[in-house]
Amino acid sequence: MAGILETPYGTRDFLPQEAAAKRAIEMRLAKLFAEFGYEEVVTPTMEFLETLTVSDRALEPNLFKMFDLQNRTLALHHEMTTPIARLAVSRLKDSPLPLKLSYNTSVFRFRQNQPGRQCEFYQSGVELLGVSNAFADAEIIALAANGLKISGLKDFMICLGQVEFANGLMEQNNLPPDVQSKIKSAIERHDIVGLEKIVDALSLDKTAASSLKKIPKLHGGIEILETARALAENEKSQRALDNLAEIYALAKTYGVADKIAFDLGIIRDFEYYTGMVFEAYAPNVGYSLAGGGRYDHMLKDFGLACPATGFALGIERILTACERQGISNDARAKDIYLSYAEGNVDAAIKKALELRTAGKIVELALFSQTKDAAEKSRTAKGYAELIYLE
Amino acid sequence: MNDFITIALPKGKLFGLSTELFAKVGWTAEGLHEKSRKLVITNDAAKLKFIITKTADVPTYVEYGAADIGIIGKDVILESGKDVYELLDLGFGKCHLMMAVPKDKKRARLEDYAHTRVATKFPRIAEKFFAERGMQMEYIKLNGSIELGPIIGLSESIVDIVETGTTLRENNLEEFVHICDATARLIANRVSYRLKFDRINSLVSELEKFL
Repeated sequence: MAGILETPYGTRDFLPQEAAAKRAIEMRLAKLFAEFGYEEVVTPTMEFLETLTVSDRALEPNLFKMFDLQNRTLALHHEMTTPIARLAVSRLKDSPLPLKLSYNTSVFRFRQNQPGRQCEFYQSGVELLGVSNAFADAEIIALAANGLKISGLKDFMICLGQVEFANGLMEQNNLPPDVQSKIKSAIERHDIVGLEKIVDALSLDKTAASSLKKIPKLHGGIEILETARALAENEKSQRALDNLAEIYALAKTYGVADKIAFDLGIIRDFEYYTGMVFEAYAPNVGYSLAGGGRYDHMLKDFGLACPATGFALGIERILTACERQGISNDARAKDIYLSYAEGNVDAAIKKALELRTAGKIVELALFSQTKDAAEKSRTAKGYAELIYLE
Repeated sequence: MNDFITIALPKGKLFGLSTELFAKVGWTAEGLHEKSRKLVITNDAAKLKFIITKTADVPTYVEYGAADIGIIGKDVILESGKDVYELLDLGFGKCHLMMAVPKDKKRARLEDYAHTRVATKFPRIAEKFFAERGMQMEYIKLNGSIELGPIIGLSESIVDIVETGTTLRENNLEEFVHICDATARLIANRVSYRLKFDRINSLVSELEKFL
């Protein structure tokens, strides 16, 4: 029977030590989100395909799909923003705004070779619905930065962008929609060679062409916003830069400004994001650990216009980054292995209860043992201390 | 070690041209040559590490961030499907991807080749090209001497890269459709590009002067 011991492509087991590290981070994140007033929600693992693809039909090939009894197509959720938007528009529509929700779950994306994760991977994150100001975005950035900090990471960077900067620059040059989406796609992939070819083919004046080509290279500290300002003399781009400056000022008060850099070439999935966007990186890990941003149009696709912002942290990727930075998240405290000579079962149960009440982690032997055998068991199982009842 | 920049260079024809170009801007290391037995060649003073890999592996090293930057042909990037940043067109290593067929059995139109067998080292690019034209093909992945396919009766056509066209002519093949042009590119990992932006961006500006 080949195959019965394998797991399907794109899935993995977490062994006790890995599961403990994962749980430790998830618990700290859950506590942090709760402290900021975000309430946890749980949604079904599967949804109707139409629900998940409401904003972007092109997602469909990357979803895991199946049929229900009426032959309707179901899909495993690929992220949590869409299910939470559905929830906000339907069952939570009468809740007072802003709505602050958090989640921790696995999500599923069918793709070959996703660096640092499988097809099923874990995300913790938040969504803030109902407020469109910079304060809301700053709270999201502060939460993301604190989330990475309490995960144990010392060295990481959050890069902030604003999709309206590039949009404004393209509108200023009256570029037709198909050219705009080609340019955005090149910026998103950071295909600077491709971007230059597209721009060179558009008979633009020299200054306009060079401004467009510079977008993916606008990376740096707060001073980069002034460099960007000089490139885009239109209201939309200027407002985008004002928005970033405002978010940054608030992030300073939150005490996370030292982790922030700006990068106007980050536009992430542009079908979806409408304002501030960000990604988080750590040295020696070649992919982003977290990402998010403002998505003011998405809830409209469900029938209720409502501004929204949020992010997701990739748990496996954070675990990898912690490991590369030499940070252990193994929270298992194996305190006491409790064993006993024949006839002491009742005393042992009582002793174990007593120790557990005192907060110790105790494994109680299920058979009587000699003291030597008990010591061997303690070592094999990795407990710090042996208590043996003679 | 984090302040080092790791550069992945491909073995083969791009290697010499790449090291020559890098040397012009002072990015080099003692003992950096293709026949080096060392797998990692370090220049401690300049904080550079070079790794020499098989051509098809360069995008993989860069996507995972094992190398911060690399030099590789556009054809290899397209075929790999890897998510890497493309910073600069280096201009050398010029070639193009095309579909070629035996001269004496040439069919009239591209559509006449639907459902036939195509031998290629680039199945991903080939599949994308034909799929965009609504054509289903039978792809036969080969790792070298692609021209042999039609000669020996393994396939009706090939999709391959061509520089001068000499090999095609020698094997009685004729270019049938041009697919895309390719040159060597400077690529970067998305995280390295941000965390080591100053060094990578000034490298790009320096290199631009020599192109």
